[in-house]
Amino acid sequence: MSSTIIGIDLGTTNSCVAIRVGDTVKVIENAEGARTTPSIVAYLKDEIRVGLSAKHQAVTNAKNTVYAAKRLIGRRFDEPMVKKMQETVPYTIIKADNGDAWIEVQGDQKLAPPQVSAQV
Amino acid sequence: MNNDLPSGEAVDGSSNDQRSSGLLDHPSYEELEKKLTEAEQKISEHWDRIVRMQAEADNLQRRAERDVSNAHKYALDRFVGELLPIIDSLELCINNNVSSDETGSAKAVIEGVQLTHKLFLSVLVKFGVQQVNPTKEPFNPEYHQAISMQQDDSVSPGSVISVLQKGYTLNQRLVRPALVVVAKIEE
Repeated sequence: MSSTIIGIDLGTTNSCVAIRVGDTVKVIENAEGARTTPSIVAYLKDEIRVGLSAKHQAVTNAKNTVYAAKRLIGRRFDEPMVKKMQETVPYTIIKADNGDAWIEVQGDQKLAPPQVSAQV
Repeated sequence: MNNDLPSGEAVDGSSNDQRSSGLLDHPSYEELEKKLTEAEQKISEHWDRIVRMQAEADNLQRRAERDVSNAHKYALDRFVGELLPIIDSLELCINNNVSSDETGSAKAVIEGVQLTHKLFLSVLVKFGVQQVNPTKEPFNPEYHQAISMQQDDSVSPGSVISVLQKGYTLNQRLVRPALVVVAKIEE
Protein backbone atom coordinates (compact mmCIF):
# COMPACT_ATOMS: atom_id res chain seq x y z
CA MET A 1 0.00 0.00 0.00
CA SER A 2 1.35 3.42 -0.89
CA SER A 3 1.90 5.87 1.93
CA THR A 4 -0.77 8.51 2.48
CA ILE A 5 0.07 11.94 3.80
CA ILE A 6 -2.41 14.63 4.78
CA GLY A 7 -1.27 18.25 4.63
CA ILE A 8 -3.13 20.99 6.48
CA ASP A 9 -2.57 24.68 5.84
CA LEU A 10 -4.12 26.53 8.79
CA GLY A 11 -4.04 30.13 7.61
CA THR A 12 -5.05 33.34 9.35
CA THR A 13 -7.97 33.97 6.99
CA ASN A 14 -8.42 30.70 5.07
CA SER A 15 -7.42 27.08 5.54
CA CYS A 16 -6.88 24.24 3.09
CA VAL A 17 -6.45 20.47 3.35
CA ALA A 18 -4.80 18.23 0.76
CA ILE A 19 -4.02 14.53 0.62
CA ARG A 20 -1.10 12.84 -1.08
CA VAL A 21 -1.46 9.21 -2.13
CA GLY A 22 1.65 7.92 -3.85
CA ASP A 23 2.50 10.55 -6.45
CA THR A 24 -0.76 12.43 -6.76
CA VAL A 25 -1.77 15.36 -4.57
CA LYS A 26 -5.45 16.24 -4.27
CA VAL A 27 -7.05 19.15 -2.45
CA ILE A 28 -10.03 18.02 -0.40
CA GLU A 29 -13.25 20.00 -0.79
CA ASN A 30 -15.34 20.89 2.23
CA ALA A 31 -19.06 20.26 2.72
CA GLU A 32 -19.94 23.35 0.67
CA GLY A 33 -17.78 22.16 -2.20
CA ALA A 34 -15.10 24.81 -1.75
CA ARG A 35 -11.40 23.99 -1.76
CA THR A 36 -10.56 26.50 0.95
CA THR A 37 -12.46 27.23 4.15
CA PRO A 38 -12.50 30.57 5.96
CA SER A 39 -10.70 30.29 9.31
CA ILE A 40 -13.68 31.61 11.24
CA VAL A 41 -15.46 29.96 14.18
CA ALA A 42 -18.82 31.15 15.51
CA TYR A 43 -19.98 30.08 18.96
CA LEU A 44 -23.76 29.92 19.31
CA LYS A 45 -25.83 28.89 22.30
CA ASP A 46 -25.91 25.19 21.44
CA GLU A 47 -23.71 24.77 18.41
CA ILE A 48 -20.45 25.80 16.82
CA ARG A 49 -20.35 26.97 13.21
CA VAL A 50 -17.15 26.84 11.18
CA GLY A 51 -16.13 28.25 7.82
CA LEU A 52 -18.39 29.92 5.28
CA SER A 53 -21.59 29.77 7.35
CA ALA A 54 -19.72 31.32 10.30
CA LYS A 55 -18.53 34.10 8.03
CA HIS A 56 -22.06 34.77 6.77
CA GLN A 57 -23.48 35.35 10.20
CA ALA A 58 -20.55 37.35 11.55
CA VAL A 59 -22.49 40.62 11.44
CA THR A 60 -25.38 39.22 13.49
CA ASN A 61 -23.18 37.60 16.12
CA ALA A 62 -20.01 39.69 16.18
CA LYS A 63 -19.17 39.15 19.85
CA ASN A 64 -19.06 35.38 19.47
CA THR A 65 -17.58 35.05 15.99
CA VAL A 66 -13.83 34.52 16.21
CA TYR A 67 -11.57 35.21 13.24
CA ALA A 68 -7.78 35.51 12.89
CA ALA A 69 -7.38 33.45 16.06
CA LYS A 70 -4.02 32.40 14.67
CA ARG A 71 -2.68 35.86 15.46
CA LEU A 72 -3.19 35.16 19.16
CA ILE A 73 -1.54 31.75 19.31
CA GLY A 74 1.49 31.78 21.58
CA ARG A 75 1.06 35.40 22.64
CA ARG A 76 0.99 36.79 26.16
CA PHE A 77 -1.87 39.06 27.09
CA ASP A 78 0.38 42.02 27.77
CA GLU A 79 1.97 42.16 24.32
CA PRO A 80 1.30 45.34 22.27
CA MET A 81 0.04 43.24 19.34
CA VAL A 82 -2.69 41.81 21.55
CA LYS A 83 -3.68 45.29 22.71
CA LYS A 84 -3.98 46.40 19.08
CA MET A 85 -6.14 43.39 18.29
CA GLN A 86 -8.38 44.13 21.25
CA GLU A 87 -9.12 47.51 19.74
CA THR A 88 -10.10 46.12 16.35
CA VAL A 89 -11.84 42.79 16.88
CA PRO A 90 -15.41 42.58 18.19
CA TYR A 91 -14.79 39.50 20.32
CA THR A 92 -13.35 39.70 23.82
CA ILE A 93 -9.71 38.86 24.49
CA ILE A 94 -8.92 38.05 28.12
CA LYS A 95 -5.95 37.14 30.23
CA ALA A 96 -5.70 33.46 31.09
CA ASP A 97 -4.45 32.18 34.43
CA ASN A 98 -0.98 31.62 33.00
CA GLY A 99 -0.81 35.08 31.41
CA ASP A 100 -1.52 34.01 27.83
CA ALA A 101 -4.05 35.75 25.61
CA TRP A 102 -7.32 33.80 25.57
CA ILE A 103 -10.70 34.43 23.98
CA GLU A 104 -14.03 34.72 25.78
CA VAL A 105 -17.32 33.97 24.04
CA GLN A 106 -20.94 33.61 25.10
CA GLY A 107 -20.21 35.60 28.23
CA ASP A 108 -18.46 32.88 30.15
CA GLN A 109 -16.73 30.40 27.83
CA LYS A 110 -12.97 30.84 27.95
CA LEU A 111 -11.09 29.41 25.00
CA ALA A 112 -7.44 29.09 24.11
CA PRO A 113 -6.51 30.31 20.59
CA PRO A 114 -5.21 26.84 19.56
CA GLN A 115 -8.56 25.40 20.64
CA VAL A 116 -10.41 27.80 18.34
CA SER A 117 -8.04 27.09 15.46
CA ALA A 118 -8.50 23.35 16.01
CA GLN A 119 -12.21 23.75 15.23
CA VAL A 120 -11.29 24.83 11.74
CA MET B 1 4.74 -51.93 -1.64
CA ASN B 2 1.36 -50.47 -2.42
CA ASN B 3 0.34 -50.06 1.21
CA ASP B 4 3.15 -47.80 2.30
CA LEU B 5 2.66 -44.47 4.12
CA PRO B 6 0.34 -45.48 7.02
CA SER B 7 -0.79 -42.29 8.89
CA GLY B 8 1.07 -41.22 12.05
CA GLU B 9 4.27 -43.08 11.40
CA ALA B 10 7.63 -41.66 10.47
CA VAL B 11 8.13 -42.13 6.81
CA ASP B 12 11.29 -42.96 5.12
CA GLY B 13 11.12 -40.88 1.96
CA SER B 14 13.61 -42.84 -0.07
CA SER B 15 11.35 -45.75 -0.91
CA ASN B 16 8.52 -43.50 -2.16
CA ASP B 17 10.41 -40.99 -4.23
CA GLN B 18 9.81 -42.88 -7.40
CA ARG B 19 6.06 -43.25 -6.87
CA SER B 20 4.82 -39.63 -6.98
CA SER B 21 6.98 -36.87 -8.40
CA GLY B 22 5.06 -34.12 -6.60
CA LEU B 23 6.06 -35.11 -3.06
CA LEU B 24 8.18 -32.74 -0.97
CA ASP B 25 11.39 -33.98 0.53
CA HIS B 26 10.40 -34.61 4.17
CA PRO B 27 12.76 -36.49 6.42
CA SER B 28 10.35 -36.57 9.42
CA TYR B 29 6.70 -36.06 10.35
CA GLU B 30 7.50 -33.09 12.61
CA GLU B 31 9.22 -31.41 9.69
CA LEU B 32 6.06 -31.93 7.66
CA GLU B 33 3.93 -30.43 10.41
CA LYS B 34 6.20 -27.40 10.64
CA LYS B 35 5.94 -26.83 6.92
CA LEU B 36 2.16 -27.12 7.17
CA THR B 37 2.01 -24.49 9.90
CA GLU B 38 4.20 -22.14 7.87
CA ALA B 39 2.03 -22.66 4.81
CA GLU B 40 -1.14 -21.97 6.81
CA GLN B 41 0.39 -18.79 8.20
CA LYS B 42 1.25 -17.62 4.71
CA ILE B 43 -2.30 -18.40 3.61
CA SER B 44 -3.82 -16.32 6.37
CA GLU B 45 -1.43 -13.42 5.61
CA HIS B 46 -2.34 -13.53 1.94
CA TRP B 47 -6.02 -13.74 2.77
CA ASP B 48 -5.69 -10.71 5.00
CA ARG B 49 -3.95 -8.83 2.23
CA ILE B 50 -6.62 -9.82 -0.30
CA VAL B 51 -9.40 -8.61 1.99
CA ARG B 52 -7.61 -5.30 2.48
CA MET B 53 -6.99 -4.85 -1.22
CA GLN B 54 -10.62 -5.65 -1.95
CA ALA B 55 -11.73 -3.03 0.59
CA GLU B 56 -9.37 -0.48 -0.94
CA ALA B 57 -10.66 -1.28 -4.42
CA ASP B 58 -14.24 -0.86 -3.20
CA ASN B 59 -13.39 2.49 -1.62
CA LEU B 60 -11.63 3.66 -4.75
CA GLN B 61 -14.59 2.71 -6.88
CA ARG B 62 -17.03 4.46 -4.56
CA ARG B 63 -14.85 7.58 -4.51
CA ALA B 64 -14.52 7.55 -8.31
CA GLU B 65 -18.29 7.26 -8.69
CA ARG B 66 -18.83 10.13 -6.30
CA ASP B 67 -16.25 12.28 -8.10
CA VAL B 68 -17.87 11.65 -11.47
CA SER B 69 -21.33 12.36 -10.10
CA ASN B 70 -20.15 15.60 -8.47
CA ALA B 71 -18.33 16.62 -11.64
CA HIS B 72 -21.63 16.27 -13.54
CA LYS B 73 -23.77 17.98 -10.93
CA TYR B 74 -21.52 20.98 -10.35
CA ALA B 75 -19.79 21.30 -13.72
CA LEU B 76 -21.63 24.56 -14.43
CA ASP B 77 -20.66 26.04 -11.06
CA ARG B 78 -18.27 28.74 -12.29
CA PHE B 79 -20.28 29.46 -15.44
CA VAL B 80 -23.44 30.09 -13.41
CA GLY B 81 -21.47 32.33 -11.05
CA GLU B 82 -20.38 34.49 -13.99
CA LEU B 83 -23.94 34.71 -15.35
CA LEU B 84 -25.42 36.05 -12.12
CA PRO B 85 -24.42 39.73 -12.57
CA ILE B 86 -26.34 39.62 -15.88
CA ILE B 87 -29.53 38.61 -14.09
CA ASP B 88 -28.84 41.26 -11.45
CA SER B 89 -28.64 43.91 -14.18
CA LEU B 90 -31.89 42.76 -15.78
CA GLU B 91 -33.66 42.87 -12.42
CA LEU B 92 -32.27 46.32 -11.61
CA CYS B 93 -33.55 47.60 -14.96
CA ILE B 94 -37.01 46.19 -14.30
CA ASN B 95 -37.25 47.43 -10.72
CA ASN B 96 -36.20 50.95 -11.59
CA ASN B 97 -38.71 51.33 -14.38
CA VAL B 98 -41.73 49.21 -13.69
CA SER B 99 -43.51 51.91 -11.71
CA SER B 100 -43.29 54.53 -14.45
CA ASP B 101 -46.50 55.50 -16.14
CA GLU B 102 -44.95 55.93 -19.55
CA THR B 103 -46.82 54.42 -22.41
CA GLY B 104 -45.62 53.48 -25.82
CA SER B 105 -42.13 52.41 -26.68
CA ALA B 106 -40.67 52.75 -23.14
CA LYS B 107 -43.33 50.48 -21.76
CA ALA B 108 -42.77 47.99 -24.57
CA VAL B 109 -39.05 47.98 -23.86
CA ILE B 110 -39.63 47.31 -20.17
CA GLU B 111 -42.02 44.50 -21.00
CA GLY B 112 -39.40 43.09 -23.36
CA VAL B 113 -36.81 43.17 -20.57
CA GLN B 114 -39.27 41.48 -18.23
CA LEU B 115 -39.89 38.69 -20.70
CA THR B 116 -36.15 38.30 -21.32
CA HIS B 117 -35.57 38.06 -17.59
CA LYS B 118 -38.26 35.42 -17.23
CA LEU B 119 -36.78 33.41 -20.09
CA PHE B 120 -33.29 33.64 -18.60
CA LEU B 121 -34.56 32.41 -15.23
CA SER B 122 -36.40 29.47 -16.75
CA VAL B 123 -33.25 28.39 -18.58
CA LEU B 124 -31.30 28.53 -15.33
CA VAL B 125 -33.95 26.49 -13.52
CA LYS B 126 -33.74 23.90 -16.28
CA PHE B 127 -30.10 23.38 -15.36
CA GLY B 128 -30.70 23.07 -11.62
CA VAL B 129 -30.24 26.70 -10.53
CA GLN B 130 -32.57 28.04 -7.86
CA GLN B 131 -32.97 31.59 -6.55
CA VAL B 132 -32.54 32.32 -2.85
CA ASN B 133 -34.88 35.20 -1.96
CA PRO B 134 -35.57 34.86 1.75
CA THR B 135 -37.54 38.02 2.62
CA LYS B 136 -39.26 37.59 5.99
CA GLU B 137 -37.76 34.10 6.43
CA PRO B 138 -35.52 33.19 9.36
CA PHE B 139 -31.87 33.98 8.77
CA ASN B 140 -29.91 30.91 7.64
CA PRO B 141 -26.14 31.54 7.46
CA GLU B 142 -25.68 28.59 5.12
CA TYR B 143 -27.48 30.39 2.30
CA HIS B 144 -27.63 34.02 3.49
CA GLN B 145 -24.88 36.48 4.28
CA ALA B 146 -25.79 39.18 6.79
CA ILE B 147 -24.69 42.66 5.74
CA SER B 148 -26.09 44.53 8.70
CA MET B 149 -28.59 44.34 11.52
CA GLN B 150 -31.44 46.74 12.03
CA GLN B 151 -34.16 47.31 14.54
CA ASP B 152 -37.42 46.38 12.85
CA ASP B 153 -40.55 45.36 14.68
CA SER B 154 -42.48 44.33 11.61
CA VAL B 155 -40.58 41.05 11.32
CA SER B 156 -39.70 38.57 14.05
CA PRO B 157 -36.18 38.92 15.52
CA GLY B 158 -33.55 36.99 13.63
CA SER B 159 -35.50 37.13 10.39
CA VAL B 160 -34.55 38.76 7.14
CA ILE B 161 -35.87 42.31 6.73
CA SER B 162 -34.75 42.87 3.17
CA VAL B 163 -32.68 41.21 0.46
CA LEU B 164 -30.04 43.43 -1.11
CA GLN B 165 -28.91 40.85 -3.63
CA LYS B 166 -30.54 37.51 -4.41
CA GLY B 167 -28.60 34.31 -3.80
CA TYR B 168 -28.41 31.33 -6.12
CA THR B 169 -27.87 27.58 -5.68
CA LEU B 170 -26.83 24.97 -8.24
CA ASN B 171 -28.29 21.55 -7.37
CA GLN B 172 -28.59 22.69 -3.77
CA ARG B 173 -24.96 23.79 -3.55
CA LEU B 174 -24.56 27.50 -2.85
CA VAL B 175 -23.14 29.51 -5.75
CA ARG B 176 -23.67 32.96 -4.25
CA PRO B 177 -25.22 33.78 -0.86
CA ALA B 178 -28.17 36.15 -0.63
CA LEU B 179 -27.06 39.48 0.86
CA VAL B 180 -29.57 40.32 3.57
CA VAL B 181 -30.37 42.74 6.38
CA VAL B 182 -31.33 40.89 9.55
CA ALA B 183 -33.68 42.05 12.30
CA LYS B 184 -31.90 42.60 15.60
CA ILE B 185 -32.29 39.93 18.25
CA GLU B 186 -32.82 41.11 21.81
CA GLU B 187 -29.88 39.93 23.93
